[in-house]
Amino acid sequence: MKERFNRMVGGLTCFEVLSVLSDYLDDELPQEIRGRVEAHLAGCDNCAQFGMEMAGMLAQLRPDVAPAPAEVAARLQRRIEAWWAS
Amino acid sequence: MSPSEGPLKLTDSELLQRTAGGDREAFSRFAERHQAAVYRHACYLAERREDAEDLLQETFLAALRAAGQFRGDASARTWLFTIARNAWLRRARPQAAAGGEEMDLESLAASAGWGSQNPESLAMLAQDRQRLERALARLGEGEREVIILRDLEGLSGEETAAVLGISLAAMKSRLHRGRIELAARLRGGAVSGVRT
Repeated sequence: MKERFNRMVGGLTCFEVLSVLSDYLDDELPQEIRGRVEAHLAGCDNCAQFGMEMAGMLAQLRPDVAPAPAEVAARLQRRIEAWWAS
Repeated sequence: MSPSEGPLKLTDSELLQRTAGGDREAFSRFAERHQAAVYRHACYLAERREDAEDLLQETFLAALRAAGQFRGDASARTWLFTIARNAWLRRARPQAAAGGEEMDLESLAASAGWGSQNPESLAMLAQDRQRLERALARLGEGEREVIILRDLEGLSGEETAAVLGISLAAMKSRLHRGRIELAARLRGGAVSGVRT
């Protein structure tokens, strides 16, 4: 299993790319390392596909920003009013 | 200007300053501005909706009492999430210890689909909100928290670390592992060494 992650492409192994994948997807890698990651991704189908899959998942995580249910908001306001009155 | 005049245009810091001075309307505006985000966050923390609503109320009442202490160093949302998290930790049951050895990153990635031929799309799996919630619920508490704050609520890395009370590096490490573990959970893969 682990041997599969030792493949060197673009100056980085698959494991090294896997280790910084979150920072890469968050655009938080120094430019020099980012360039090496991109060189690896250009030549490694496994990492490129996995990176795209992870990016696709992250893009789906942000929920719809719905307001709190009206009755929940109303009860909160009543608690706040009660605190002021106490 | 009267105490409640134009509060919708005021910043969070200004609303809280006015609240500390006794302006009820200012705090109502502040609550209206943030109650949706805090309620959604409370729903992630608490499994039951009634617990989430209790947590919502507890959070805003604590914010009301502490309004004068808000300094604006962090965003109001970060401040509220920190209050909510601390309130939740005080009432939540003790965390069960992780069982077994922690799975290494390579094995976790393989469970998440690395190297698979034509795996089912993670984006499609994550679109199923019930499936996503089940997958989140099966993460370890630390990983679940960091993903909720960073990826679902959209806090910055620094804000997420501040809410959790950990370093940015520790937050990033936990986030990275948590994301891959979440992908594995979405695929229904075996993940050992984490709480189930």
